[in-house]
Amino acid sequence: MRDPSDSQTNERSGTSKLVPFPFSKGVTVLEQDIILQARSIYKGYPGVQALDNVDFELRQGEIQALVGQNGAGKSTFIEILAGSLSPDRGEIEIGGKVYNHFDPSISIELGIQTVHQENQLVEELSVAENIFLYDLPKTRFGFVNLPNCVETADALLKQLEIDIPSEKKLTELTFVERKLVSIAKAFSRKAKILILDEPTASLDRKGREILFDIIRKAADTGLSVIYISHHLGEIFEICDRVTIFKDGFKIDTSEVKKTEMTSIVQKMIGKSSSTLAVHKKANISAEDADTLEVVNYSRGDAVKGVSFSVRKGEIFGLGGLVGAGRTELARMIFGLDKKDSGKLIFCGKDITPVSPSDAIRKGLGYLTEDRKDDGLFLIRPIFENISTVLFTKVKSMFMDLKKEQENTAIVSEQLSIKTPSIAQFVINLSGGNQQKVVLAKWLHAESEILIFDEPTVGIDVGSKSEIYQLMDNLAREGKIIIVISSDTPELISTCDRVGIMRYGKLADILSGDQITEENVLRLSMGVE
Amino acid sequence: MNDKMTNILKKSPGNKKGINQSLLLIILIVFLCIIATVVNPRFMRISNIINIFQQVSVLGIIACGVGMLLVSGDIDISVGAQVSLLGIILAMIIEKLGGIAPGEANAWMVPYAVPLAIAASFGIGALLGLINGIIVIKSGVTSFIITLGFSTIYKGVALLISGGASYMLFGRFETLGRGRVFGVIPVAIFFFIGVVILSHVILKYTRYGRFLYALGGNKKAAFVSGINTKRVTLKAYVIVGLLNGLAALILISRVGSALATTGEPYSLDALAAIIVGGVILTGGKGSALNIFLGVLLIGLVGNALVIMNVNPYLRGIVIGIIIIAAVTISNASSGKK
Repeated sequence: MRDPSDSQTNERSGTSKLVPFPFSKGVTVLEQDIILQARSIYKGYPGVQALDNVDFELRQGEIQALVGQNGAGKSTFIEILAGSLSPDRGEIEIGGKVYNHFDPSISIELGIQTVHQENQLVEELSVAENIFLYDLPKTRFGFVNLPNCVETADALLKQLEIDIPSEKKLTELTFVERKLVSIAKAFSRKAKILILDEPTASLDRKGREILFDIIRKAADTGLSVIYISHHLGEIFEICDRVTIFKDGFKIDTSEVKKTEMTSIVQKMIGKSSSTLAVHKKANISAEDADTLEVVNYSRGDAVKGVSFSVRKGEIFGLGGLVGAGRTELARMIFGLDKKDSGKLIFCGKDITPVSPSDAIRKGLGYLTEDRKDDGLFLIRPIFENISTVLFTKVKSMFMDLKKEQENTAIVSEQLSIKTPSIAQFVINLSGGNQQKVVLAKWLHAESEILIFDEPTVGIDVGSKSEIYQLMDNLAREGKIIIVISSDTPELISTCDRVGIMRYGKLADILSGDQITEENVLRLSMGVE
Repeated sequence: MNDKMTNILKKSPGNKKGINQSLLLIILIVFLCIIATVVNPRFMRISNIINIFQQVSVLGIIACGVGMLLVSGDIDISVGAQVSLLGIILAMIIEKLGGIAPGEANAWMVPYAVPLAIAASFGIGALLGLINGIIVIKSGVTSFIITLGFSTIYKGVALLISGGASYMLFGRFETLGRGRVFGVIPVAIFFFIGVVILSHVILKYTRYGRFLYALGGNKKAAFVSGINTKRVTLKAYVIVGLLNGLAALILISRVGSALATTGEPYSLDALAAIIVGGVILTGGKGSALNIFLGVLLIGLVGNALVIMNVNPYLRGIVIGIIIIAAVTISNASSGKK
């Protein structure tokens, strides 16, 4: 960031009259003015009630946190406010008017702006152009009036006390600067209500402080903020009130000053939902030598000195928030990504893989987080998907096609992949069956150590329980299994022990009765 | 929506059987043959059929190499320039060494001219492929752009070393391009068919072939599955280079002389044949048989237009229409958007 006394921004400050801004300093804000009131909002999807009789109110000038586990209904709610979803029932009162639903243009007109987790900015354009992209000022010949655009953008940034020269291209900006540009963009559209979805994701400590500073200043001038975050610590730093969603219900809204982290966590968990898993905790004897040792894996800030060991027949879970370094760790263990340090020891032997092919030869298998991205050959038949890993292990020039058909059919049957034929293209299978194909390819290659990264994302309930059953069977057969999951009940019901990662470190390892939703969440979020 | 319904919805695109690409190509070929025969019955003569095969053999050999590469999701549009460059080199060797008069000091070199030319064609062909492959892999830039650059470079080198002049073989190297087995079937056809069969075997029966499909299907997944993706890509480029070496030998032998632009049309013609043959630009799909049919179709168009006494300049227009039609039909029938 540049020095605030930089001359360029100051010189231009006098010409800000072109755009009337959403707030002006010195306006007295009535603390208790309710700017938005949602009443009895319902929204259902097949099989899921995403929002169930939700009430919500937002005061002028307040920063209100919205928290809840994955699937609690936060996203659905903010999409309704943004106008991209219509509620089934319920009403929203804003500025004295009552609406049954918004559409995006109404929502914008009412001053509701969302800053998404992923930047929705154009990399190749300047800051100024990004801010006014929706309505670029034009010259009388129809070209973009760039000087005017830069001038107004500079004035806006000045007013927000964001110190970024608006001629800069977006590619030259840091993460936090981009986030600030997104916020400035929201302001330029006369935001009265700003929805921030996980704004601190991928920001470091300093970036967070800069961001918080801007948000606080904006709130002081009368802007209302809905702040969505998994990091409870942040909520105590910046928010006035906190609203907790759970399974589509609004559980509570309370003043942050009058509440504690533990009570927020309690309310997020509530009564535990039904569990599908079947894994009977393994009966592991202490003298069992068949142990996989993960020793001191590190890379930069992503993963910091993670060590743990997994015994034969055990399912070891890795919990934590998205971005805590779990997938990064798995990819390093499998030899996919570079690492600063780390050793993998199996049965006393160093088997640290240097590449995926090396890892496969040493008996590892990795079911990646996003099966479509790097797990499957979607436009190839099932049997080819299953056999490919095995073919990388053998050295013969030709393939035995008949044996391939027979063997892959057997594996496919064992995992009960539902398909008319194993010649079917994988793209035509359901999510659950696709995941089974990924598992099949590692089992076919006789992998002994299996890493499941988010194994049941986007999978229906039936297939979920089938996958849990398979994981249990594999553990019983003596395979070593590591499961990465953001689905806490999944960790609780499938794992013998769960290691929780936070900011790249292994915070703690839970075992037996310690593995509760509360403990997992607390450790993930860093609640004392 | 209940589960059953979602299942039906999911299945419907799969159940909608796409027209088999081979069948589509055969229908097009038969259709074209019928029209040509009706206009001029001479089209169906054995001699003309053999003629067509001979005409497409160079294109076919090049297309097989690029086709296998494209199955893996990479492309090489410098093949035309490679063939030109290799042609110039081998013609220079034959003209310069083979043309030494009996009395001169280096006269002993004469019998080695053709073997040296053959070795150079394959060796340098493989080298060009290797260079292409290494730069594509190391740069991380789309292979289209890298090989576009190399296409210009190779053409430049060919012009530079030839000085823009043509090199003549003076009948010293005719068998490959003009020779006929039993006086009937041109030698070149055997090489063409041989390369098609070899490509078929590679793609269908070898691990390497399977890895090509895997790379084209999903390069990241291929890497996670333990395939050495860089080595597979590099080999594919070398195979392209080797086949270009063979193609250059046959082409120059048939034409009897080499210019810096002799191979130029083959870049786009090969690509056209492959695309018509059902290989998709992103890779992961395609077969040697269909590439063969694609090559045949492209060759037929040229021949049929001549036989029908139509303006041969129409060739480009007709091929263009066939490319667009073939790809549109197979795309629409496979239910993909």
